[in-house]
Order: sequence, then structure tokens, then C-alpha cells
Amino acid sequence: MAAARKGRFDFVRPLLYGRDVDRALKTRARIGLVIASFVLVYAVIGARLVMLAVMADPEAPRRIAGTDAVATARPDILDRRGEILATDVRTPSLFAEPKKIIDVDEAVELLTATLPDLDATELRERLSSKKGFVWLKREITPKQQQEVHRLGLPGVGFVAENKRVYPNNAEVSHVLGHVNIDNQGIAGIEKWLDSNGLADLHLAGFASDRQQKPIELAVDLRVQHALREELIAGRDKFKAQAAAGIVADVRTGEIVAMVSIPDYDPNDPRQALDKTRINRLTTGVFEMGSTFKALTLAMALDSGKVTLGSTFDARMPLRYGKFDIHDYHAQKRVLTVPEIFTYSSNIGTARMALSIGVQGHQAFLKKLGQLDRLRTELPESAEPLLPKRWGELNTVTIAFGHGLSVAPLQAVMGISALVNGGKLIPPTFLRRTEQEADALAKRVIKPETSDKMRYLMRLNAEVGSAKKADVAGYYVGGKTGTSEKVVGGRYSKTKLLTSFTAVLPADQPRYLVLIMLDEPQPLPETKGFATSGWNAAPVAASVITRVAPALGIEPRFDVPPSAQQILQATASIR
Amino acid sequence: MRLLNIVVIGALVMAAAYVYRIKFEATVQAGQLTKLRSDIRRERDEIAALRAEWAKLDSPSRIEGLAKRHLPLKQIDVTQYDRLDNLPERPVQLVPDNIEDPIGAIIERTDESTGSIPQGAR
Repeated sequence: MAAARKGRFDFVRPLLYGRDVDRALKTRARIGLVIASFVLVYAVIGARLVMLAVMADPEAPRRIAGTDAVATARPDILDRRGEILATDVRTPSLFAEPKKIIDVDEAVELLTATLPDLDATELRERLSSKKGFVWLKREITPKQQQEVHRLGLPGVGFVAENKRVYPNNAEVSHVLGHVNIDNQGIAGIEKWLDSNGLADLHLAGFASDRQQKPIELAVDLRVQHALREELIAGRDKFKAQAAAGIVADVRTGEIVAMVSIPDYDPNDPRQALDKTRINRLTTGVFEMGSTFKALTLAMALDSGKVTLGSTFDARMPLRYGKFDIHDYHAQKRVLTVPEIFTYSSNIGTARMALSIGVQGHQAFLKKLGQLDRLRTELPESAEPLLPKRWGELNTVTIAFGHGLSVAPLQAVMGISALVNGGKLIPPTFLRRTEQEADALAKRVIKPETSDKMRYLMRLNAEVGSAKKADVAGYYVGGKTGTSEKVVGGRYSKTKLLTSFTAVLPADQPRYLVLIMLDEPQPLPETKGFATSGWNAAPVAASVITRVAPALGIEPRFDVPPSAQQILQATASIR
Repeated sequence: MRLLNIVVIGALVMAAAYVYRIKFEATVQAGQLTKLRSDIRRERDEIAALRAEWAKLDSPSRIEGLAKRHLPLKQIDVTQYDRLDNLPERPVQLVPDNIEDPIGAIIERTDESTGSIPQGAR
């Protein structure tokens, strides 16, 4: 092989350099070599030209991205009907390149004259620095831009930046969250957007244009607005410290509206620093009071040990160690299960929980997600406060909603599962179809138990403590809850947290409404009472009156009472 | 040989001229492209600003405030909602539309049916 190659090229050398070769032949060979090398060089140049012409210049778009849009472009956020909840608007920002500024004094003088809210000393400091680039003022108006432009100062320029605007001001604040000056989400859905890829996109330099797919939330702006108005009215009427409310779709887990008053305007994020303006529904944990009795009853009914006909002794206060468990609406007799629910009997529910036992109680609450931190799209969440050692006394008190603090959104998830046929669906702030929800759902109680719970809740609105929330036409079912707030380590008799959970319509549940009032005051027209049935329930009624038409719930006036409509009807199907 | 050289030189000059024209046109086109791109961008920004303004003007709290101040409207009562099926049938029209003298036409019709209300019209 080597010999063959040597043999093949052996003739080249003598052809170019050999003395005994014909001159003419040698010349032709030399010229041929030169031609070949030139052809090669030109072929390379030509190929490179073709390559440059065919492939687009990859540097060009980057150059545009560099000159403006420092702040990230964010996708629009829409409500479930396509109304804009958050969008980007381009605003100019003023910057300077100190090295290029000729006369600092003149620049300071002219700039402070045009933009009076600039601090002269700080401006002078910035302009005299050795830096290549300094911000002078972010987000100025187009008019100010014109004026500064007319000053004709060298070394002063503008960059168009994306500014986040929330057209509905405080309306949807706690769901949306807000952004910082660089348009990065720092709370709520805005932060969720960033942690789900937007931040990486921005780092890669692609997020400067507004060609991003908008995010659709489950929130309905009309419902949100109505809920907020009614909560503000309710808070003012009962002089409560705070009010909060949720409207949730029980079949999909979508949060259609969520308001926590006092709230803040995301256009002015400084307000969010105020501690009283936190979102009580996800970042606060509360003892939910009698609302939790619904969970206890569902547990007892689902175990099969207790039926709707079972009775429990509520003649005497339940003595446990040195504690006495009293009833608020004491009947001093043996109560049936529906009576325990409608009279909201602490003794009855406590006995019911004891019949299941500590282990069973704990396991049931765990199954309903009441003992673990609930995570949603919102980055803010709070861990439930559990008793350090869970003994029988804890089971007794937790049975009627004291001694276990959960986030109200968590309670909404649990109670939704009790009424929607027994499926626990994690709540979401994004759109979700029923099929998607079913894929996520976990069966926690039997469908029959869910029917019984809806019957009990409707019965409560017909004859029990939820009468004031029975809006004619919507077949509302509900449970009141009043808990005493802990002040200085003791339960206070005057500082109450009242809540109301409504399900509508009770026979074919579609929505769950939770209303919470923090320290409502007794009024003459509430006959000096400050319990849930007198304040949270009527607020829930006015909310339902306003939002039910927007939610597309058809009023019905000829529906028979719950015993017939829910119990008999479902019994015949199953 | 000379002829060939002349032809080749001519071809070269023509090719150069052609390439120059293409290059020039491409530059013009590229300039237009950049301008159109920036125009589109500006339009998009303006649309976004207008949409934001519309959303602000359209926000329920603003509309409610205006309605409360200027209109004597009250909240709709539950009983004011009904289903379309519950709507009664549209009454039978006594006279066809676009007639000059509707009352006269009705009188004419009632005359036909001997003074009683025509059947089917309630």
C-alpha cells in the first residue's frame, strides 16, 4: 500500500523539479498547480459568501433587545371572560452616561427645572460619578420625555421600558400580586409566572417583546367586584377589623373570586407592606369554629357508625378533665344528628368525634388535607397549626373547630369535597375543566355521605342557624361558624371570628361561598349578638344575591324542602 | 481568442452591474423591513396602551360608581329573572306589519268575524 502510494506520486517531483524532464512539460505542470490552488481559494471564498447570504444574521435581533426594554415584558393576565386584569404599557425611562456629560451643573439645573421631583444633590452625585450608565428617573410621562428631549443635553437619553399596569386597581390584588420596578413578579400570580419559566426566558433575552400568550385566570371580574363591594359594606356595617370571602367552583376547584379586605392597589406596591393588608385566606390560619362541625359530621356519617337517625346525649355539658364543653344554643336534651347540626351543638359533635376516636379523627382530617400546608399557584401559603400532642381533649375541641388552625382556603377545599359528591379537588386560580379536575380528584367520602351533608346544610338554612342566608330562589345550604379569638393565651368572649360557608344550589351544588368577618361588633338590629348567623350569614346572602346571576345559576321557586328534594330523590337513584 | 476575452469581460461587467443592483435593492428592502418592524412594534404598544385604558374605563368599580351617581337603577331582584321557556307565546298579530292605517285594518278584520275577537288572538 505504502509502496503503491509512493509509486503513484513519484512522478510529480521529477515533473516539477527534475533536470531530465522536458521544459515544456514542466511549465505546464507548474501552471496547472497554480491554477488548482487559485481555484481552491476562490471556491472557499465563494462557499463562505453563499453561507453568509443564506443564513440570517443571528446578531441583529439581539442588538434591538439590548437598546430598550430593560424591564421584562410580561404576558397579559385575563379573567375567565377575557377582561384584562394586568397588562404591559411602554413608558420611557430617563438615563444618563456621566462620561459624556460636558457641564454637570448645567445639566442638573435644567433637569431639576423640568422634573421638579428629582433631588438636586443626588442628581449631581449621580452625574459626577465615573460610571458608564446611571438611571435618573424610571417611568416618566411622554410629556416629560418631550421636555427633557428639548433641553438637548448631551449624554442624556431614554429607554422604553415595560411597565405593569393593573386597570382594576385593588379589585383583584391578592390573586394577582404585584411586580417590582424591573417588572419581576414578587407576589401572587405574578410571582408564579416568574417561577414558571418567565424569569429564565428573560435571562435568555427573549422576553422583551409582547408576543407572549396571555394567562387566563379562573377569576370572574364581575363576581370578584360584587364580592368585594359586599364585603366592604359588611365590614363597615359590623365595624369588623377585616373581612374576607371566596367563591369557588365545587366541581373543578377553580377559585372564581377571592377577596381579603383590607387589600391594596398593586399599582402602588408599597401598600402591600402594611401587615393588616395580608391575604387572610391563604397566608392566615384561623380556628374555623362550628364550620368544622361539617367535617366531623361527615366523618361520623361516612364511618357508618352514625346514621342520620342516631342520637347523642346533650343534656349535660360534656366534662373533660377540668374543662366543661357547653352548647351555645343549649337544648338540654338528647339530640338527633340533624338537630346537632342545626343547633350547632358542641356537646353532640364532640361525642360524635369521640365515638370515632382520636386516630380515626386525625386520619380523616389528614385525608381531607386539613393537616398539611395547602399549595396553590399563589406562592404565599401558611402551615396549619396543629396541637403538639393530639389527645382526646384535642379531638373533642377540634370536632367543633377549636384547637386546630387552618387557612380558610383549605377549609373551602375540605367542605367542597363534602358537598360535591366526595371528591377532594385541589383549588386552583387558573382555568380548569371538569375532566381535568376529575383526573386530579381523590375520593374522600362516599357519595351517599355527600348527599346527607348537603341535606344537613340545606336543612340548616331552612330551620337552623343559616336562615338569614337563605336567599329565595337559589336553594342555599350553609353552616355558620363562630370562634373566639385567642387574646393573651385565653379565648376572648368579645373578640370573635365569624364565618359562613354556603353551598348553592344545595341539591345540585355548583359553587361554595365562604365569608369571614374578623371581630364584628354587635349592633342594635342584631339584638346585641355578634355570632356568625347575625353578620356573616346576611353578608353571604347579599353576596349570593349579587353573584348568582353572574354565575349563571337559575332561580327556582318551586323546589320542595330538603328532606324530599335531596334525601328521597338521591335515595331513589342509589 | 480575443473575441472570447471581450465576451468574458463584457459578461463580467454585466454580472458586476447586476450584483450591484441586487445588493442595492436588498439594502433598500432591509431598510423597509426594519421600518415596518418598528412600525408594527409601535402599533402593538399603542394597542396595548389603548387596551389598558379601555380596561380601566370598563372596570366594574368605575361603571358602578357612574351608574350610582347618574342612573336611578336598582339591583335586580331574584324574581325578575326567568327562563325563556316560561315566556308566553307571542300574541297572534292582528294586522300585517307596514300597513298605513293599522286601526282601520283591525276594524275591517273584526267586521269580518262578526264583531267578536278573532280566534287565536288573546
